[in-house]
Amino acid sequence: MNASNNPSLSRRSWMRLAGTASAATLASDLSGLEALGSPELSQSLRHSGKRVILLWLAGGASQLETWDPKPGRATGGPFSKIQTSVPGIEISELLPKMSSRLKETAIIRSLNTKIADHGNAYQLMDTGRIAEPSLKFPHLGAMIAHELGQRDSQVPDYVSMYTSTEGRRQGTAGFLGGRYNPMFLTDQMMPANIKRLERISDVDHRDRAELRNLMASIFERKNTHPMYDAHNSAYERVRGLMASDHLFDIDREPQSTRNHYGPTQFGQQCLIARRLIEAGVPFVKVARAWWDSHGQNFETHQELCADLDHCMAALLDDLKSRGLLDSTLVITLGEFGRTPTINGSLGRDHFASAWSCTLSGCGIQGGTVFGKTDEDGQKVAEGEMNAGDLFATIFAALGIDHHKEYMVGSRPIPIADFDSEPCHDILV
Amino acid sequence: MQPSNLHRLSQWPCQDILFCLTANQQGNRIWFGSSDAGVYQLDLNEEKPSRQKLQGEGHTSYVTSIANCGHSLVTGGYDRKLIWWDAESGNQIRRIQAHEKWIRRVIVTPDSKHVLSVADDMQCRLWDAATGQQVAEFTDHAEMTPHHYPSMLYAVAVSPEGSHFATGDKVGHVAIWDAQTLQKVAELETPVMYTWDPKQRRHSIGGIRSVAFSSDGRRLAVGGIGKIGNIDHLGGPARLEVFDWHSGERQLELEDTKWKGLIEQIVWGPDDQWILTTGGDHKGFTTFYDAKSGELVHQEQQPGHVHALWHDDAYESLFLASHKQLSHWSMREKEA
Repeated sequence: MNASNNPSLSRRSWMRLAGTASAATLASDLSGLEALGSPELSQSLRHSGKRVILLWLAGGASQLETWDPKPGRATGGPFSKIQTSVPGIEISELLPKMSSRLKETAIIRSLNTKIADHGNAYQLMDTGRIAEPSLKFPHLGAMIAHELGQRDSQVPDYVSMYTSTEGRRQGTAGFLGGRYNPMFLTDQMMPANIKRLERISDVDHRDRAELRNLMASIFERKNTHPMYDAHNSAYERVRGLMASDHLFDIDREPQSTRNHYGPTQFGQQCLIARRLIEAGVPFVKVARAWWDSHGQNFETHQELCADLDHCMAALLDDLKSRGLLDSTLVITLGEFGRTPTINGSLGRDHFASAWSCTLSGCGIQGGTVFGKTDEDGQKVAEGEMNAGDLFATIFAALGIDHHKEYMVGSRPIPIADFDSEPCHDILV
Repeated sequence: MQPSNLHRLSQWPCQDILFCLTANQQGNRIWFGSSDAGVYQLDLNEEKPSRQKLQGEGHTSYVTSIANCGHSLVTGGYDRKLIWWDAESGNQIRRIQAHEKWIRRVIVTPDSKHVLSVADDMQCRLWDAATGQQVAEFTDHAEMTPHHYPSMLYAVAVSPEGSHFATGDKVGHVAIWDAQTLQKVAELETPVMYTWDPKQRRHSIGGIRSVAFSSDGRRLAVGGIGKIGNIDHLGGPARLEVFDWHSGERQLELEDTKWKGLIEQIVWGPDDQWILTTGGDHKGFTTFYDAKSGELVHQEQQPGHVHALWHDDAYESLFLASHKQLSHWSMREKEA
């Protein structure tokens, strides 16, 4: 069920709510979003149990060294391709572990997103649409958090780990409001500023909360407004968020599990992502930087692909063994791919005309390849897909209607960009 | 031969990347390896020399190194194979799976009896040049970098009298070996050659790309790249370190910030007067240093990254294998 398909509560409700909250208010006021998330809407919009882990390959991984190899061509580079566990599908030899786990994964080889500078491409691939100066669009994580998050959740809705500084861009909830901004981890793998101040005891902290609750309940006996619900909800979440620090503590995992993910930071963050997903966090982004290999592309990909291959395989294995893969969508995506042409430094430059990403798990027909590039990887030959189509596919895999609209003031904003369509070939 | 006399005689632009080359003693017949997996011959006696591909099953990936054993050539590539070729006929003699990972460099001992290969499986393997049989393998190089990623073994050299070998890897470790016993007799560290970026980009770049013994075998030159700020590019200084490897004393430590990039090959000049380095980033360089003082003697910018160099015994004739170009140079004084 969604806003568009249920006019009795969608369009009318949205318009009514939009009337009470201007676009500016909606964009800046946390409570405005909670008003949109009133209980009746919540029931119809939440898709319980579905989660997303985005493995963000920051800087732009080479499709030729990962999912769309072209060995033997001048553009193909030195690596060979290997047969996967799915007959007829071959990927780069740099991904041997993933080659045996392709039955849960769909490869899209035909992204043409046109924008090949980091900033604008990042914005495009994180929001699914071209930026507008007058409106801040929410990033994928914020939209997923909004659609899949539970209003009374005791865990964060959107966690983003990006510990490399190059290209670090903090996702924003845009017009969805601050409630859906990410918990953003940059310098360490444990969130900062969620611990109780040492000078306040736990008893004091609880007493203060109870006093606030008492006063709020007295106030609400004579006053009702969705904004008051949002205000209370925010306070209720605080203790939950404060108590969630254990989710980031991988020392609580058995050594065998930690070994499975390996010693690299990316591996540890993937393990944290699994812990968060398991605890009910709807969207976790793990950014692995920095794939921007203008020089020494092949050496760089030997290093980074080893990390991606091991950690992605470990993550899929772990999710599968815990029965979580059917409800968790794992995405590998970056802002663009890399040029087929090899430059003088044995590097590859930015390239957005024909590149790849993958979707695994929830709602995905694994063991499939969608789209095709030409023999040198210079152009999309079949099944061209843009950012909006990819987002529509992601939403569809999660059971979210891609036609759904948010209202910003009186302006409808579709959750996936105008005219975008999901790729049914890779959906279950 | 004066470095300042260096001038180009001819060039052959191409569409592929040339990684390695060698030539016959007269320097009129050259062989080179390509990114198109081919091994080619160019006969300069022809009126209009054109490259001819050697015949056989061949390589299936970049051909990264070539050694001239006299009657035969041995090539190594990223397909992990060593291939023996008949130098006269150009026919393939044998093809063996020599390593588990990319082969980076193949050299021949001065007596032409043995071939050495180094690869990213971090092994140095010694081969009988005539039969292709493996004689030994040895290593002192860790498979993983300190940051848990696969390391690479780029460089190997043999001393002029054939008594010692040297191997150099990505993280800047050099091992020197007794050629008879294959025991390690010394080691050197050049950590500046390896850049690990823990924060901005969280991966590494660099490594030792070339090693070369002086003519008396006592000094070892080690080439690579210095610390790089932005490791997206080869934007670091071309770095050369020279050691008295017996004592471990670092005698020279040179960085060129004008023409940056990797030093892919090192040549000691006659009587060890100068050291020639070649390599590059997106462009290339040939740089001569005084071997004692380290002073820059002469420098030429090259249009493309230079991957390999061959010179004749008299240091009169040089060939460069570069990104999309082969070129012929001379150090003889230009005729008026």
